[in-house]
Amino acid sequence: MIRTIISFASVIILSTSFSALAKTKVTWSMESNADRDPIMIEKLQNAYNNSQDNHELVIEFEDNETRLTSMRTAMIGGMGPDIVETPGPSYVKEYHAAGMLENLDSYAAEFGWKDKMIPWAYSSGVFEGSLYAIPKTHESMVMLYNKTLFEENNWKVPTTLEELEDVAGKIKAKGMNVFSYGSDGWQPTHEHLVGIYLNNYAGPQAVYEAIIGEREWTDPVFVEALELLKKHMVDEGYWSGSLENYYAIGWDDFHAQFANRGAAMMTIGTWTFQATQLGIGASDDEWGWAPLPSLSSQSPDPNFMIAIGTTMSVNANGKNKEGAIDVLNWIMSNKDKVLDIAKDFEFGEMVVPLTLSSSDIPTDIAPQVQDYLSEYARITGEGNYGYCTWTFWPADPGVHIWKDMEVVWAGDISVEDFLYDHQKMWDKARKNGDTLPVPLRN
Amino acid sequence: MKIFSNKNFVAWYFVFPVAFIHLFVIGIPSLASLALCLTDWRGLGEINYIGFENFIELFDDRYLKKAIINNVIWTIAFLTVPVGIALTCAYLLTGIKRGQMFFRLAFFFPYMLASVINCQIWKYLFHPIHGLGGFFERIGWDFLAVSPFTMKSTSLFAVAFVDGWHFWGFLVVIYLTGMYQVDNHLYEAADIEGATKFQKFRYITLPMIRPVFVFSIMIIIIWSVPVFDYVYILTGGGPAYSSEVIANYMYSQAFERFDVGYSSAIGTLMFFYVMIIVALFGLFRKAGWDI
Repeated sequence: MIRTIISFASVIILSTSFSALAKTKVTWSMESNADRDPIMIEKLQNAYNNSQDNHELVIEFEDNETRLTSMRTAMIGGMGPDIVETPGPSYVKEYHAAGMLENLDSYAAEFGWKDKMIPWAYSSGVFEGSLYAIPKTHESMVMLYNKTLFEENNWKVPTTLEELEDVAGKIKAKGMNVFSYGSDGWQPTHEHLVGIYLNNYAGPQAVYEAIIGEREWTDPVFVEALELLKKHMVDEGYWSGSLENYYAIGWDDFHAQFANRGAAMMTIGTWTFQATQLGIGASDDEWGWAPLPSLSSQSPDPNFMIAIGTTMSVNANGKNKEGAIDVLNWIMSNKDKVLDIAKDFEFGEMVVPLTLSSSDIPTDIAPQVQDYLSEYARITGEGNYGYCTWTFWPADPGVHIWKDMEVVWAGDISVEDFLYDHQKMWDKARKNGDTLPVPLRN
Repeated sequence: MKIFSNKNFVAWYFVFPVAFIHLFVIGIPSLASLALCLTDWRGLGEINYIGFENFIELFDDRYLKKAIINNVIWTIAFLTVPVGIALTCAYLLTGIKRGQMFFRLAFFFPYMLASVINCQIWKYLFHPIHGLGGFFERIGWDFLAVSPFTMKSTSLFAVAFVDGWHFWGFLVVIYLTGMYQVDNHLYEAADIEGATKFQKFRYITLPMIRPVFVFSIMIIIIWSVPVFDYVYILTGGGPAYSSEVIANYMYSQAFERFDVGYSSAIGTLMFFYVMIIVALFGLFRKAGWDI
């Protein structure tokens, strides 16, 4: 009897070992985040590994800046992870130009990825006619507001410039800041605001034309847009009370400021939903969201700026390309699993741009987020979408738009001179073929 | 074969392992970096030779000029404030018999802390809400209401202050070591002559610690060129490039704009600048300076 049990156990152990050995390792270098990592392990890595017997996904978490440098070095040396995660299309462009990414066209055709994805998001990964990247998360900019505070004071959520300036005056009169936001710890925060003013003053159509080279960035409409931003930022101190405070305040501070009524509103990306829910969501006040107000008659309708947060590609020199493709296809084919991950982040992370119907939206997330997802789908579906700088700007002008904006705010150069430099950078990027994919406008 | 057993050659056996590592870790990458300054490499993919285009662009770059000026200001600031304070404190410490170790440790302590920690301490102290500014504001004073890191007029000096705060303790230790080497008989003779404390410092201490002092000046000038971490952590070179320094600008070009060729050209400039400084000190030494 004992002999039989031992034989039986040996067979189980051996078969388990062989099955583990038979699995080929797929590596994925991912941005580290203490709150996010356990969910990614449980709901992505383990879920994938339990779903099949051929590959073993191993996610390696690392601080993003270190990760990007070490991944780049490894890839130059012909190595690197099987799944290449980048912070956006401008990085994909660099890797693609160096021939380091696998062409995904045949897999996209075989597995029907194009039909599963939101069209603009799919096209953001198409370089020189072929697919090289799939967005891991897509996002937009919104305006959050303290709903309780607005109701208490009978303030109207602004939808136009006039309404914004009117309510801003009332908020300031109460001793509060208009918007809670700051750039400490992440200097590119400025580009969020620049993007809002370009799209909501000049309008998405004008921005689109400038991106594709049919309009100059020196056009008066862009000058006016950035003059208005300068006025609101420097003269009015809309963000955290003053330009200096805006520079001094970081992520935790501006969430705290919004949660404790230091500010009445916040202009921010949708990646914040979870933090907002944990911040003001945990207080006695209720929060709401709204599309960013229209800032001129050139942009009369509400729009959502579209953006890619992170991308996934396959390393052309990876050891297990087949496994990497299989992981991507698992993500593309398991909408419920992906939505379950996004749900844990209140749709602030891992929002893979899969086409969703209203019934797909989970009901156990914050009602504000549910509402946002429906509105986002409706408004962008009607073609009312703008363009975030970090997704559609090539590297050099992409840095210029935020880094040198400080010079404008400091009054060292005029908006005209800034945009003149900006146009020159776009010209150079266009000449060098560094421009990024942009979806055709309806 | 005799040459290999020559007494003078034996030293090379000891130097060889380090020299070998240096060749691969520093030598070859440095030469490669020098070569990249003549290319348009973007950190990945093709490398195209573009001659001196990057250097032509350098001379037209207003923000690089700003960074160079800031580096010069930074060097001057470090050659004066921390040196002055460190000399004074080291000299005063030599007169302390009891508890000297405590002061030495206290002065040196910030130097042992990681730059990130030093920066966070001062960032919080100057924070407009949680820092001293917020505290003073609550008791009705406007003092430090705005963080000096976020004002164009003060950001460079604020960062230099924090870096200087961490650095001056190191100078104290160096100067103190030099001061203990000074023959005590000189001070005794000066006491007999009725010299004041300042006169003893001016005419005995300072000349006698000259090698250490000049060495400290040289390392300050050289270390001021690649200054990076404090600027990067505290201000990122902002606001509006007001605290931008060459190394931070070089980093931005390479890792934000992917312009590695241009960044290498900036690195090449830094390299030649440091070489000139080292050569100057070499000349001084040849001219008989005791350094």
